[in-house]
Amino acid sequence: MTYSQIIFQSSMLLFAVSIIIPLICINAKKSLIRKLSLFTLIIACTGLLFFSFNVLVHETVNFHILLSGFTFNLSIDNLASFFIILISLIGLSVAIYSISYSEHFENEIKRNLLVSLTAFFILSMVFVVASHNLIAFLFFWELMSISSFMLVMFDYDKKETKKAGIFYFVMTQMSTIFLIFAFTLIYNHTNSLDYTPLQGLSAPLASLIFLSLTAGFAIKAGVIPFHKWLPYAHPASPSSISALMSGVMIKVAIYGFLRFLFLLPEQQLWWGILILIAGTVSALLGVIYALKEHDIKRLLAYHSIENIGIILLGVGLYMIFSFYQVRDLAMISIFAALFHTLNHALFKSLLFLSSGSVVYRMNTKNIEEMGGLIKKMPYTALLFLIGAISISALPPFNGFVSELMIFQVFLKFNVLSSPIIKIILILSLSLFALTSTLAAVCFVKAFGIVFLASPRSKEAESAKEVDSSMIIGPAIIAIFCIALGVFSYQIFEVIGQKVGINFSLPNLLILSMIAVFLGGLTYLIMKMVGNNKSRVTETWGCGINSQNGRMEYTASGFSQPVTTIFSSIYKPKLVNKKSFYDPDGVFFKEGEAKISLIKFFEEYLYMPVFRVISKVSSVLYSLQNRVELYPYILISFFAIISLLLYLGVIIR
Amino acid sequence: MNGFLLFAIANLTLVLFLSPLYISVIKKVKAILQGRHGPSVVQTYRNIFKLLKKESLYSRNSSFITRVTPYVDFTGSLLLSLFVPLIFIPNNSNIFGNIILFSYILMLTKFFIALSGLDAGSTFGGMGSSREMSVSAIIEPTIIMVFAAVAFSFNSVNFFEIIKNSLLSQNHVFLWLLFIPFIIILITESSRIPVDNPETHLELTMIHEAMVLEQSGKNLALIEWSSAIKQLVLIGIIVNIFIPIGVSTTMQIMTLSIAVIMFFIKSLLFVIGIGIIESNVAKLRFFRLSNLFAMSYFLSFITILIEVLL
Repeated sequence: MTYSQIIFQSSMLLFAVSIIIPLICINAKKSLIRKLSLFTLIIACTGLLFFSFNVLVHETVNFHILLSGFTFNLSIDNLASFFIILISLIGLSVAIYSISYSEHFENEIKRNLLVSLTAFFILSMVFVVASHNLIAFLFFWELMSISSFMLVMFDYDKKETKKAGIFYFVMTQMSTIFLIFAFTLIYNHTNSLDYTPLQGLSAPLASLIFLSLTAGFAIKAGVIPFHKWLPYAHPASPSSISALMSGVMIKVAIYGFLRFLFLLPEQQLWWGILILIAGTVSALLGVIYALKEHDIKRLLAYHSIENIGIILLGVGLYMIFSFYQVRDLAMISIFAALFHTLNHALFKSLLFLSSGSVVYRMNTKNIEEMGGLIKKMPYTALLFLIGAISISALPPFNGFVSELMIFQVFLKFNVLSSPIIKIILILSLSLFALTSTLAAVCFVKAFGIVFLASPRSKEAESAKEVDSSMIIGPAIIAIFCIALGVFSYQIFEVIGQKVGINFSLPNLLILSMIAVFLGGLTYLIMKMVGNNKSRVTETWGCGINSQNGRMEYTASGFSQPVTTIFSSIYKPKLVNKKSFYDPDGVFFKEGEAKISLIKFFEEYLYMPVFRVISKVSSVLYSLQNRVELYPYILISFFAIISLLLYLGVIIR
Repeated sequence: MNGFLLFAIANLTLVLFLSPLYISVIKKVKAILQGRHGPSVVQTYRNIFKLLKKESLYSRNSSFITRVTPYVDFTGSLLLSLFVPLIFIPNNSNIFGNIILFSYILMLTKFFIALSGLDAGSTFGGMGSSREMSVSAIIEPTIIMVFAAVAFSFNSVNFFEIIKNSLLSQNHVFLWLLFIPFIIILITESSRIPVDNPETHLELTMIHEAMVLEQSGKNLALIEWSSAIKQLVLIGIIVNIFIPIGVSTTMQIMTLSIAVIMFFIKSLLFVIGIGIIESNVAKLRFFRLSNLFAMSYFLSFITILIEVLL
């Protein structure tokens, strides 16, 4: 047993300890137990972090666990270790965050349960990534789904939580059904449960496997049009869990997609185009839907859809370029996709955790009731600002670098010969450009309305800064957000030497040093030349001396220009009903007017499917739910007849 | 490295001291066309100097965002000026010149100005931020398309190489299709008519001015100066890509002084042109702007198609 195997196994042991401790003393009225458990979790995550970093640099680690007849293979290669780094890093900071956060639930059982389930959820995701055969993957995938379902349902007594939980459960099971279908096809072909490259597939079969894998993972990752569970599930679950689900769990789906994509050697061009288009549509629609949201967590959930779209853009470019065997660009795109996966995990968990602190103090998720929090919660505000700059892809933070890599791949598509592919790429490029600026618009709105100006409600006026653990947890991520951006050139220099590609990134470290120098110089010169007197006064209000929070610009006002420009996408529905006492329409009797946005995907995609299923099931229900015996006898009769036919005719 | 230092010093001096002039020149051209005398061409320098000597006022609601924004904006603009060869093309650098990085540093400065607009809690500021961010969002596809078209035509994503290649090859006739999109980008980014009106303080028309309404003293001076710098840098991109004549590639006194004179003449003519255009169009309604941007998007799309497919 090597050194790194020992680290891995002891981390697993620590995970088990941190799951079990709170469950044993579930009724104990001591926060010490939870602290102990979370502390164990922190050590376990740190151990895993070192372990996977070691694997990423050096070696592959294999394990075999025998369980009830099936062999559960665990093996950690470079791809898996990259995702374990991501899981354990976010897990680490969520564990630190939870030290204070878990204490605000109303009773001991809930607090203990949250800690235990969080550890369980992180562990199940580690195992999904580490598993190295189909059965293990499915088993841990389901474990991950179930533990996340329990966490979504954590506030089970609220009505919207129930709806969100059931919605999430149905979607996640649909995803599993598609995966089981794909795995069955794979098993049929290879006769083994291992991850073996699928050589010699016929084209339609390969496409069928690819499509069902795509559908399965796309549902879990929240790609449009399978995205509807995200904006329900994220606001319903506790903030630390939203950070894990949005930051990490949807990335596990990306991991699964990549893992099985690499097993399909003979790829077709239209697969790549499909992924590219799905990515572009998700990215653009995700951010456009986010713009109109006033629920801070739902807004962030829509941004997850956007960023998953950007990751898929990278993957789609990789597939297209590797189809044309342009190795350099293909490699840059896949690295861009992976880097954006890491970056999104970082800044999205940072945003979820810091907005979780705001929600924790404000007891509302509606940003229209916030405002002025930068003075009450300065550290949380700074953390949110770092996350907002990163997600808006502004230099020199990490979000910018991965988007820059994707842009640079786009700008080099001259190497392709097919004109149609070129036109698709050009259109996709311009929509991608729109996406990243709309994200900046959305985060000016989110940061500006939540943290700036004066408070818009009593809760906002009396808000206090959160405890230190809820600042330290996200602060760790924030440091990574800055470092991965500023040192990107150096990081990709090392990677580039290993794989033999020139990433041609700008050196952001020196650029930021020059910027700091110029900024400092400006400050000094202004200090010497300019007038240093300053005064604090009222905001200018056209002569009105008492400005208050109600006179400020609102979130809906802020996003109104964009919503008007994109009104054809939102499809606002205007209902205007009036009735009058007299035929000429003079004496008004009653009426109603309302503007609502059509939930496009719900009305035109989800509901029709639901209606068909409920119709079928109501027929079956009426057959089954009879008092008389006849229908049963009839059904049994037909069943036996068809069985006989099958055995007698078809098999022979 | 020596060449780069020279380039940096030349560019910084040029943008710092020339940029306020062009703001005044546009005003002067407009005044002459309207039959007025107009302010002197050194008025913008006087304004900046005057503002530097005034005390700064801060709103009671404002936070550190308002205080750092002028410096972020000014530093960002200075950095942008290092991305574009105005008179001298240094050897390729892996720090400056990337066109995507250029447009995102521009975005970073706008991000902070928009936040500072919201910071004071004034309705004007919020309105300005909202409009500015919306406009910059819908112009972004055009910017990227124009940059993409330039990148395809000159086979590089670096301004240094693009202008060098433009200097060496003169056969990109179709590139002139990009001239109109480029002017629309310039007008939008420097908040001029028909997108924005820098001279009014009416809530109906203003965008950029509304955001900086709460800034005063040296902070306002920095913000006004940096928008002048951004305008000059964008003008520099346009004139040097379309008419690269005169840009020096060697470090000789002779060629450099010719380059300075040539750049001055080229950009001055261009600025006078902008003044003439501005006096002849009316400000567009805000929701009509997307049509303008759609047109420029379309033109840059066609350019790419021609450059790439033919």
